[in-house]
Amino acid sequence: MTEMRYRIVGADAPPMLQLVDVQHRYGGKVEVLRDVSLTLHAGEKSVLLGCNGSGKSTLLKILNGLIAPTAGRVIYQNEEITPARLKAPALHRRFRGEVALLFQNPDAMLFNPTVFDEIAFGPRQLGVPDIEARVHHWAEQVGVGAHLTRPPFALSGGEKQKVCLAALLVLEPKVLLLDEPTASLDPRSTGWLIDFLASLPVTTLTTTHNLSLAPELGNRALVLGEDHHLIYDGPIQALLGDMEKLTAANLVHTHRHRHGNIEHQHTHVHDWQ
Amino acid sequence: MNRDRAALFAYLAAVLAASWLHDPVWLAAGLAVTLLAAGGAASSLLRRSVLTVLAFNSVISLSYAALAWMQHIMPWETLLRINLRVVLLTSLTFLFIARVNLFRALDFSQNLTYALGLAYSQALTFRRAHEDFRLALASRSLKRPRLIDRYRASAAAAAWFIEKALHAATQSAQALRSRGFFHD
Repeated sequence: MTEMRYRIVGADAPPMLQLVDVQHRYGGKVEVLRDVSLTLHAGEKSVLLGCNGSGKSTLLKILNGLIAPTAGRVIYQNEEITPARLKAPALHRRFRGEVALLFQNPDAMLFNPTVFDEIAFGPRQLGVPDIEARVHHWAEQVGVGAHLTRPPFALSGGEKQKVCLAALLVLEPKVLLLDEPTASLDPRSTGWLIDFLASLPVTTLTTTHNLSLAPELGNRALVLGEDHHLIYDGPIQALLGDMEKLTAANLVHTHRHRHGNIEHQHTHVHDWQ
Repeated sequence: MNRDRAALFAYLAAVLAASWLHDPVWLAAGLAVTLLAAGGAASSLLRRSVLTVLAFNSVISLSYAALAWMQHIMPWETLLRINLRVVLLTSLTFLFIARVNLFRALDFSQNLTYALGLAYSQALTFRRAHEDFRLALASRSLKRPRLIDRYRASAAAAAWFIEKALHAATQSAQALRSRGFFHD
């Protein structure tokens, strides 16, 4: 099995995926992204924040070349990605193998008869010789080694999420896009996922609307506002101290608190999940 | 009567007429009128309708043609009638859905509006989920998926939809019962 190479992290690292002035409207009407430009550098761990409906999932699908933006450009390692260009088998195979997307709903990704087949789906397309070893390696890595002969549909939500992750990682992608990966996980699995993602030597962009988890998933924050603009791109700790920005993005809320006889009201985040 | 309700009654009348008419000439005329009503969207409406019914109608048509051949019957008029009628009904329905606000059309009945609301919310949820299933397969495919993979993906999606539909229907019924909708 090939070893994954560790990459330089930071703005000096080479750009992996870029969006340039991207706009998107569903059916030509409903606006979901407005003038979004961003660059993901090799090895970066970034978090995409935004309230429900801000366009996070759409942005990931555009970065994954699944949806063509209404306007603007998607660039992967200095090569523009368009539906027409992705029809070229060589680019299609390279892009799909190197840029992986974990869908929010793991059921959308599972269709093979067993967990083994599910994880082996990608390598079989590549025709690599050591499929069995790769599948066992990644199944053990994510903790589903005991379920290889079971149908993936019979697993719990968290186990399905892990199978999906193994099915993507077995191809050793360079960029991993994750859409609300903790949504179907219990607290123990969430802790495991945070540590696991941190140990992966790949560029990651993870969406969440959970501010308390965000600093654990990356050190750079990208925030989509309710008006579908990218309203913040910078260090996550600075964002967490900027209550005005967080309020504008609808990532914090205000409600009354009662402490004995004292009642007061302020803006804050709840550590839910 | 509002415009949408009038369109609903016109649509129902057109469906009844298309079901009663047997002469292929009249059915073809009905299809022509429907496409004229679609204006600039006529070609895409016809293409969408034909593609929608293609698999089902092909099986029916071929089966009937084989039976007619064994019984020494000329099948052409019947085949023309069946296919024209199905394409006409499908085109009418697509045009109706695209042009008419069903909520305004049914606003005379609270019960019908409730039922439409439930069906509509389910349809939107399933449409989004269906798109995710399609995109997930595309995202994981390094080359064109084999037929068996597409069958498996479709079967997995169908099983998921059935399970979700049953769950959602139970939830909806419980929610309506909780709000006093049923009087049993």
